[in-house]
Amino acid sequence: MTDDTTTDGEPRTDGGTGIVPQDDQAPTWTERKARTQGLARLTYEYFERSRREDEDLRHESDYVERDVLAFPTWPHEMIRNLAITSFFIGAMFFISAAIPPHIPSPANPDATPAVILPDWYLYWSFGLLHLDPINPELALLGGEKLMSDRVYGVLANLVVVGFIAIVPFLNKGSARRPVEEPFWAALGVGGIVFAFTISVLPVQNLVAETFPMTVPELFTLTFILPVVAFFLTYSVLKTMREGYMFELNRRYYRLRPPK
Amino acid sequence: MADEFAKGLGILTTAGLVWMAVSSWLTTAGFESTQLVAPPPEDLGTYGELAILVREVSMWFAIFGALAFWVAIPAGREIQRARAERREEA
Repeated sequence: MTDDTTTDGEPRTDGGTGIVPQDDQAPTWTERKARTQGLARLTYEYFERSRREDEDLRHESDYVERDVLAFPTWPHEMIRNLAITSFFIGAMFFISAAIPPHIPSPANPDATPAVILPDWYLYWSFGLLHLDPINPELALLGGEKLMSDRVYGVLANLVVVGFIAIVPFLNKGSARRPVEEPFWAALGVGGIVFAFTISVLPVQNLVAETFPMTVPELFTLTFILPVVAFFLTYSVLKTMREGYMFELNRRYYRLRPPK
Repeated sequence: MADEFAKGLGILTTAGLVWMAVSSWLTTAGFESTQLVAPPPEDLGTYGELAILVREVSMWFAIFGALAFWVAIPAGREIQRARAERREEA
């Protein structure tokens, strides 16, 4: 009986955990659901309706629902993976056999090519090496630059990578759609546009050939366009917020029309 | 609906792959010049002409196959559903 008795002599049957079984006073789940007014009722109806719509859709669907949690690795998953692997290997064999890639003549090691570029996914980093126009000349050093343009470009890489690494700590990203957090969505769009413009910067000679644009103008655009994209996205999303909330509210009021 | 999308996508990619392969054989002037859409050479022979026909057929099959499953069939279903609803209301 020691387990069931506390110091004050009251008989306890819950083992002293503080978790008490449901008594007559506490509403049962059925009673909770039967609440006839207030936000509880509204929320219940809202989710009950989504559940019902889901059920109707499942009835309409011609998919067969199965009472299994998963499929065994052998043979089901392995056969499926074998089929997918065979498909992609077949596609590679077909393309490499039917459309063989062009093999250019070997490069001349004695001459520097006209255009030197890294692989395309490193253009952004290559662009950051072209930041010498904004490497500051310090009056303190008599107009000398504090560091060479090369060191400045490498430091710019560290700054960009460091900022990207910090972003998840500034905002954990609980929003599920851009309208819910316009600032962070706009920041992301600005970052993507900057990744594009900074990638275009190292091919400035090609841009100057193709478009009526000088290299300084391109340099300015590289930094202006991301800011423009940021404000554009921010204002569009801020404007969409109203419509988004209107849709949400309309769903609620369709369930519970105002008297 | 997802099934219809997959069918359209399958037709588009498969027929597009055939079109791309034949085009790379016959209507590609060179790697540095026009690719895939260059005019075909004059003296192709029977098999060459047949390949050009396959190229044309696969291109239109890709376009109309995708359009049929992505646009025509869903639109037809919507029309059917709308007519059925109207009949129920009347």
